[in-house]
Amino acid sequence: MSQALDDIRILDLTSGIAGPLGVLMLAEHGADVIKVEPPGGHRGRSQPGSVVHDRSRRSVTLDLRTPEGVGLFEELCTTADVVVEAFAPGTMTGFGLGHEELLQRHPHLVYCSIPAWPEGSRFARDVGYEALVLARSGQNWEQTSFRNGPVFLHSPAASHGAMLLVPVAIMAAITARRRTGKGQHVEVSLLQGVMSLTTQVWNWTDQGSFLMERTHPPGVHQGSIFECANGEWVHASTMSGVTQTKTEGEVLGFEHRDQRTWLEMSPDDWEAWNEQRKAAYLRWDRDELIEAFHAAGLGSEAIVAPHERFEHPQLIETGGVAEVVDPDLGPTTQFGVPLFLEATPGRIKGPRPRAGADTADVLGELGHDADEIAELRQMGAI
Amino acid sequence: MPGPLEGLRVIDFGQYVAGPFGPMLLADLGAEVIKIEPITGDNMRALVVGSFMGCQRGKLDIALNLKEPDGLRIALELVATADMVHHNMTLGTADRLGIGYEACRAVKPDILYCNNYMYGAEGPLARFGGIDPHGQSSAGLEWEQGPVAEGNPPIWIRYGHGDVAAAMSSVTALLIALHHRDRTGEGQQLWASIFHSTMLYTADSWLDADGAPSPRPTLDKEQLGLGALYRLYETQDGWLQLAAVRDRDWPELCRVLRIDHLVDDPRFATDAARADHRAELTALLEQAFMADLAVNWRRRLRAADVPCEVSVDMIDGEHVLFDDELVRLGLVAEYVHPILGRTRQFGNLITFDDTPGVQQRPTPRVGEDTRELLERLGYDAAGIQDLHDRHVVTWPGDDYAFQV
Repeated sequence: MSQALDDIRILDLTSGIAGPLGVLMLAEHGADVIKVEPPGGHRGRSQPGSVVHDRSRRSVTLDLRTPEGVGLFEELCTTADVVVEAFAPGTMTGFGLGHEELLQRHPHLVYCSIPAWPEGSRFARDVGYEALVLARSGQNWEQTSFRNGPVFLHSPAASHGAMLLVPVAIMAAITARRRTGKGQHVEVSLLQGVMSLTTQVWNWTDQGSFLMERTHPPGVHQGSIFECANGEWVHASTMSGVTQTKTEGEVLGFEHRDQRTWLEMSPDDWEAWNEQRKAAYLRWDRDELIEAFHAAGLGSEAIVAPHERFEHPQLIETGGVAEVVDPDLGPTTQFGVPLFLEATPGRIKGPRPRAGADTADVLGELGHDADEIAELRQMGAI
Repeated sequence: MPGPLEGLRVIDFGQYVAGPFGPMLLADLGAEVIKIEPITGDNMRALVVGSFMGCQRGKLDIALNLKEPDGLRIALELVATADMVHHNMTLGTADRLGIGYEACRAVKPDILYCNNYMYGAEGPLARFGGIDPHGQSSAGLEWEQGPVAEGNPPIWIRYGHGDVAAAMSSVTALLIALHHRDRTGEGQQLWASIFHSTMLYTADSWLDADGAPSPRPTLDKEQLGLGALYRLYETQDGWLQLAAVRDRDWPELCRVLRIDHLVDDPRFATDAARADHRAELTALLEQAFMADLAVNWRRRLRAADVPCEVSVDMIDGEHVLFDDELVRLGLVAEYVHPILGRTRQFGNLITFDDTPGVQQRPTPRVGEDTRELLERLGYDAAGIQDLHDRHVVTWPGDDYAFQV
C-alpha cells in the first residue's frame, strides 16, 4: 500500500534523541530516510535507544571530511527533499555544508537544524548537553518532588520537546514549499524543545500567572498516586474515565469525599481522612484494584517501569508492541507507530541498519558503478 | 511574510490541553484556526487559567450551542470551508453531537479529521477518557522519576508532558495527511492519543530475545543526576549542573576542584569504573564543590572547558520570558489580553528563516469573533441578534463572567 510520504527523501545526519526519533515518525509514514553517517557509524549508535530511534531507514557511510565524501553528499542533495542535522555549531560549515551555502546550491531543500541553543543567541556556541539546557532555563526548580530544592529530570525534556517539534518543522516547511516552490532553513533548538513543555506553567500576565502550583505538598496529580500491596503503585486519576457507576471510596471500601469538598475541610481533618484513604489503597492488589476501578468507569493506571509497558493490553491491541529483528541483536520487542492515519497507515519499515549497509545501493542509484564504489571505499571516503 | 501554513483553515472543537494545543501550534505556523466553543465556555477556562493561556492564542473564537439545530448547522457551515478538523472528545461523542467524521465529510469530502484520544479509537480502553497522568504512569515516566527502584514514591512530572506530546503528534499526523491530500485529493480520518504519544518518551526502551530490558540510565535516590559526572551539586551558595561526560573532562575537573590525587585512582579512571563507584565519587565531589560558590566554579570550570551551568530558579518563568535576547529571537511572545492585560509566554517553538511563525492574536474570550464569523457566512445583523437571543450563539458582553 502506498504511504503518505513515499515521494519524500530525507538525509538524516543526526544522533541523539530529537533528530533520529523525530525523523522516525516521517520514515514510518513513507519517507525514504537515508542515515548519512561517518564510516564506522555515528557516535549515537552506542546508546541503547538508537536501536529503536534509528530504525526504518537506510544507512550510507560518507566521510564528510574528504572532498569525495562531500561531493557524494552534494549528489544526494540533488535527489533529496530534506537535510536534518544536529551537530555542534559550526560543524556543517566546516564541511562546506552550512545551511546558507547548501541552500544556495539546492534551493529546493528543507534544511532542518537541531542545535542546543538558538543560532544568533549569546550562548549559541556554548556546549549544549541536555542537562545544561535544563539548568540554564530553570527547569530543575519547576519539578514536583517529595522534597524541596532542585530536581534532575530523568526524562530528557528538552530533547523530547525538540523531538516532537522536528517532524512538525519539516512537514510545515514542505507544506510551504508546495506553495512557494522553495525550501528553507528551519531550526528547532533544545531550548525551544523545553519551552514547548513549559507552555502550561509559564504564562506571565499583568494579573499574575494562574499556574498549577509546584507541588510540595502534593497537588492534585501527585496526590492521586498511591501505594498498593506488594510495593506496587497506582495513579488513581479517578476524576476521569467513562460513565461512572461508583465513587473511588465505594470501590476502595472507605468513606468517600468529593474533591470539591476538600477545601472546606481543615488541613488536619483532610490529613486524617487521607491517611485512611492511603491505608485503603495499601490493602489492594494493584491490578485487581485497576480492574475494579475500570469496571466502575473510573480512570486509573498502573505505575510501571518503561519495559513493563509492553504488557499493557491497550498497547498490544493497538499495534503498539512490535517484534523487530535487529541485524545484530536478533529478535527485539519495540514500541510501534504512534500516529494513526486510516487511509495511509504507518508501519515499521525495518530494523536499524548496520552502518553503511546501503552505501553501495544508494550510490548505485546515483549512477556510480562497482569500480568507482570500490575505489571510494579504498580511499576511505565511504 | 506569511507563515508556512498560510492559507490553511482549521476547525478546533477541543477543550482542556490535548485538544486545543495542536490547533494553537497550527495558528502559530500561519493557519487560520477557528475555535468552536460551547456557549458555557471551554471547561479549562475555570480550571487552570495558566494552562488555558498556554494553548489558545492565535485563534478566532465562535461560541455555539451545538445541541441547537441552528448551532450545529453553523458549525458544519464552517467545517465546509475548512481543511482540517481537530478535537479531543471521547470515542463516539462527536458522532452524537453531529460533528463526527461522516458528518464533516458530507459537507467537505476531502476533510482531514483528527481526533485526539486518551487511549485511541480501538482497543479495550478506547471508551475511556483520561488525563495526562494516565500517560505518564503507563509509559514509565513516573516510575523512573521517583525513582521507585531506589525506594522513592513515583513522581508526576509537572509539565503535562503527555498532553503536549499528544497534541504535537496530532499536528505531525495532520501535516502528513495534508501532504497526501495535496498529492492525491484524498482526505482521511486520523487519530493520536495521550497514551501512545507519551510512550514516545520511552521509545528508547526495548526488550531482547529473552525478554530482558535494554539498559537505561538511572536517576539516583536524591534525584540529582544520572551519574557522578552528570549531576547537580550543591555549592556554598547554590547549585551547579555538572556535565563532565567527555574523557578529557575528568582530569580537568580534578585539577579545578583541587582533587588531583583522584585523577589516576583506578576506582575512577574510566567511565565504567566511575559507574561502578558512583556513590563514592559522588560523595567526594559533593564535598569538593562545597568549598566555593557556584558562580566561581562555573567560571573556573568553563575556563578549563569542562561543561557546567549554574542551576537557577526562573521564578515561574519570569526571567526567561523577560530575557531581551529571547524576545529578539522570537522565542518569547508578548501581547495584550483584553482582561489579563500585558501577557508574556513562549513564542515561536520553531524558527523558519523564510516564512516565520506568527502569534496572530491574543487568547480569545468566549465568542470573541462570533459576529465576524457569522457575517462571513452571510448572516445579517438581525439574524445574528436572533441567534444570540435564542442562546444559539454568544459573544462577550458587559456581564462577561470568565477570568480569561
